Amino acid sequence: MPETHDPPTTLLADGGEGHGDPPAAPPGERHGRARRGSRPRRSFSERYAHYFFLAPWFAGLFLITLGPLLASVYLSFTKYNLINAPEWTGLENYRRMFGDARFYHALKVTFIYVGVSVPLQLALALALAVVLDRGIRGLALYRSVYYLPSLLGASVAVAVLWRQMFGTDGLVNGLLGHVGLHDLPGWVSDPRFALGSLIVLNVWTFGAPMVIFLAGLRQIPRTYYEAAALDGAGRIRRFTRITLPLLSPIVFFNLVLQLIHAFQSFTQAFIVSGGEGGPADSTLFYTLYIYQKGFGSFDMGYAAALAWVLVLIVAALTAINFFASKFWVFYGDE
Amino acid sequence: MATSSVTARRSRSRSRRPRVLAHAGLILFGIVMLYPLIWMLAGSFKHTSDIFSHPGLFAKSYTTKNYADGWTANGTSFGRYIVNSLIVVTGAIAGNLLACSAAAYAFARLEFRGKKMWFALMLGTIMLPIHVVIVPQYILFSKLGWLNTYLPLIVPKLLATDAFFVFLMVQFIRSLPRDLDEAARIDGCGHFGIFFRIILPLSKPALATTAIFTFIWTWNDFFHQLVFLTDPKMYTVPVALRTFVDATSQTPWGPVFAMSIVSLAPVFGFFLAGQRYLVRGIATTGFK
Amino acid sequence: MFHKPRGVRRGGRRLRVFAVPLALALALSACGGGSGSDGKIHLTMTWWGSDTRHATTKKLIALYEKSHPNIVISPTYTGWDDYWDRLATTVAGGNTPDIIQQDFRYVHEYADRGALADLKRFIPSVINDSELDKSAMSTGRLDGRTYAIPTGVNAFALVVNPTLVKQAGVPLPDDKTWSWDDFVNTAAKITQATKGAVHGTEDMGYYDGGLQVFARQHGEDLFTPDGKPGMSVQTLTEWFNLIVKMRDTKAEPSASVTHETWSGGIDQSLLATNKGASSFWWTNQLSALSADSKASLELRRMPGESQAAKPGTFLKPAMFWSLSARSKHPEEAAQFVNFLINDPEAARLQLSDRGLPINTRLRDQITGQLSPADKKSATFVKEITPELAPPPALPPKGAGDVEKILSRINEEVLFNRVSVPKAVQEYIDQVKSATS
Repeated sequence: MPETHDPPTTLLADGGEGHGDPPAAPPGERHGRARRGSRPRRSFSERYAHYFFLAPWFAGLFLITLGPLLASVYLSFTKYNLINAPEWTGLENYRRMFGDARFYHALKVTFIYVGVSVPLQLALALALAVVLDRGIRGLALYRSVYYLPSLLGASVAVAVLWRQMFGTDGLVNGLLGHVGLHDLPGWVSDPRFALGSLIVLNVWTFGAPMVIFLAGLRQIPRTYYEAAALDGAGRIRRFTRITLPLLSPIVFFNLVLQLIHAFQSFTQAFIVSGGEGGPADSTLFYTLYIYQKGFGSFDMGYAAALAWVLVLIVAALTAINFFASKFWVFYGDE
Repeated sequence: MATSSVTARRSRSRSRRPRVLAHAGLILFGIVMLYPLIWMLAGSFKHTSDIFSHPGLFAKSYTTKNYADGWTANGTSFGRYIVNSLIVVTGAIAGNLLACSAAAYAFARLEFRGKKMWFALMLGTIMLPIHVVIVPQYILFSKLGWLNTYLPLIVPKLLATDAFFVFLMVQFIRSLPRDLDEAARIDGCGHFGIFFRIILPLSKPALATTAIFTFIWTWNDFFHQLVFLTDPKMYTVPVALRTFVDATSQTPWGPVFAMSIVSLAPVFGFFLAGQRYLVRGIATTGFK
Repeated sequence: MFHKPRGVRRGGRRLRVFAVPLALALALSACGGGSGSDGKIHLTMTWWGSDTRHATTKKLIALYEKSHPNIVISPTYTGWDDYWDRLATTVAGGNTPDIIQQDFRYVHEYADRGALADLKRFIPSVINDSELDKSAMSTGRLDGRTYAIPTGVNAFALVVNPTLVKQAGVPLPDDKTWSWDDFVNTAAKITQATKGAVHGTEDMGYYDGGLQVFARQHGEDLFTPDGKPGMSVQTLTEWFNLIVKMRDTKAEPSASVTHETWSGGIDQSLLATNKGASSFWWTNQLSALSADSKASLELRRMPGESQAAKPGTFLKPAMFWSLSARSKHPEEAAQFVNFLINDPEAARLQLSDRGLPINTRLRDQITGQLSPADKKSATFVKEITPELAPPPALPPKGAGDVEKILSRINEEVLFNRVSVPKAVQEYIDQVKSATS
């Protein structure tokens, strides 16, 4: 199937783009050879291949992403009301956080939310993906139906819907009323349960990780299962011995990304609580607090400082995740 | 021989009842998942004043007027907003498919200095909440003269700034056996040959996932579109929908629901069309 | 300060792949907003509202452009919630629209930072103020400068559903003499009589309108004229006790239901869904409430006015027109504002959508053309106007935050999470830090 002459290779040699890019690291030739030294012959274009593949990404990083990112670092050391020029205040914003009760409260709310909803959502997504992957009839239909709630996303109708389902006179309480449970609280509007109902809302949109799991399951060669079946492996054994190890990069991906996303959850709390994080601050997500400070109180410097504290927390957790992955994630390329 | 056919038969009869049960469970679960859509659909046919006074599925009377009203509200056809959204979405999908898969190949298969550092930096870029970068971004795009165009919504995707998809594809590519590359290499393929002839065709599920998610997330992304597009003729679907919703005066909820349903159609259609590619992995392309 | 774009070195045919959507986007951008290359004067304008306001305002623009062929006005509009995020961002990016619809709470915020133009030099040469409501006009002034022209006025009042009150069989006291206690007791009786099917009233502690009238009845205000927190511990304590009493006597629904209706906006309020017999709103919101409830709603005076030394109710500017300080064509923008507030045709189109017109002659003129609900509010405002005290000065910057502080503390009180004395202290502390 492959040809000797490879058009894209020539294309790169002509264009020669990328190696003049200032931000890129120095040629990684020696380094690369040390790692994969067994390769007999590496052409010029092969050695610089990564510049080609990464060129758009580098351009995006340096032209679009990094500027605003660094600007927000700078802003976190200033007093900035969005209209006047930022005023340097050093560590003042970070110092202020120590005495800010709502900051601690927002952290607490967010940690509870992430800690409960991410494992629940991933477990549900994986379970359904595995069930649906077993060649069940109507797979496409089920998958579409289960994905539907995720399509609604930030639709303005979601807030109305959620209140209609979980409100004091909502559908859930109505159904519970039929089985003899009365005088129930409003699940979205009682400070004791509001966060829980947002967790339900998040778990309910498990469609995205489910689709990713399904795609991952489809990458697993069927021959492995056939071989295992011949060896007499049962369903559970096949799941733990084949599915989980081969799916582990995808499980890991979902875990890392859902964690990052959950820490940044904003939209659901925003639309369901009307942007306030209520009732009584019970759904004050960290990002909602950042938003309130930045756009509500015109205190963008403080908002930026809050954001960078979040980045540090999420980065630390992600780093731990990556470290731990060495012990349980199996890649086909190893 | 005899024993094996006995076990086979036994296992088949054992598995039939659970299969029916499984379907029953899946259908029941499906109803729970479908409820919101049915409810929205019902809402879109109710009179606006009934939506909150009769919040269940049923109202005294129904109307199709909401669709006509919503489609032509504000003197601009809703179709225009759909076309605008489609432009943004098309650009974003093209960008994410090309740029993210290329970057992912480099991170997954190539060795170069500082790879880990760049990878960490890439992940770091999605950890910063959007509300603190939107103002610097706005200033950047304003200086570039890109405001009120679709460039701020498309160009970043062409430049692989969506780290989610880079990471997604890195994980998929890494789960492909490396023997494939080696085999291709022995046949004389370079990195570009491997990328275009081996990796991309085998990553169809990942590419389909990327396309589907990009469609949905771009279609629903509200904040960027609100800030970067101010000319009503340039409004996309979510921005247009939000122009109806005003907490200080009466919101035409009926038309809002109707147009929410209309705007769901392209996304759902794309999902239905794209989802069959989700299943065309190694498992079905006959890789041996 | 921010990263400056650098030229990317681009070569190679493969960029063609990326070039196609890029060119598409560029080509499309050409039909977007315009520059002034056609010799015309281009103005930008922004407002918040719902679809009816969007449609009317676009008609106003078309009307004006027809009579002023050298002017092109590009509008941008959205709902209330998104409006302020977008405005803040565009102002930060140096793209402040020429003509801005403003709110009482944010004029000071933007004026103080130099984003709004002083309109004094255009009055009366460009903006004719001879027929404008004098006392309302004063609310757009700050430190001797005029930053905002009110679009119209409205008053805070009690909206009542007489049918539901009648069904409950509870007589409504005379609103010219009733006290806050009369009001709460009546509301509690309605809830009792209907066994909770209809609540007497709705919680009034989320918005600052009720608190402000209450404060003014006690000779205080939300802020002092020089923008300091203006409420005493005693008055705040009385206010929160009143809220607690309304909750405990079931004059208003439970804290949970209150939270649900409040976060749902006007369309999901108790009056709109016929689950409450009364609630406090601004007079221009009567028509939305009437349309939602399909009932013939009526307006009543605020309680406690006759017991107070000075009346608390005042005519508040519904919203304002402001101009950008960086506008390239301030005079033309001011001319358009003059059209919006003084032109009979403009008034006929807008009616009372932005409050009862600030131009008193036009206010009387359009009354006949109003919808039944709007006519009721116009008549009501006209009737109570002689009884009212002058409006307060513009609130200080941070006022937008103050209402959110009030909502939050009110909610904590409703859910019994803080005691009244603690709530009062929290309110005073937080308002102080938000406005300093």
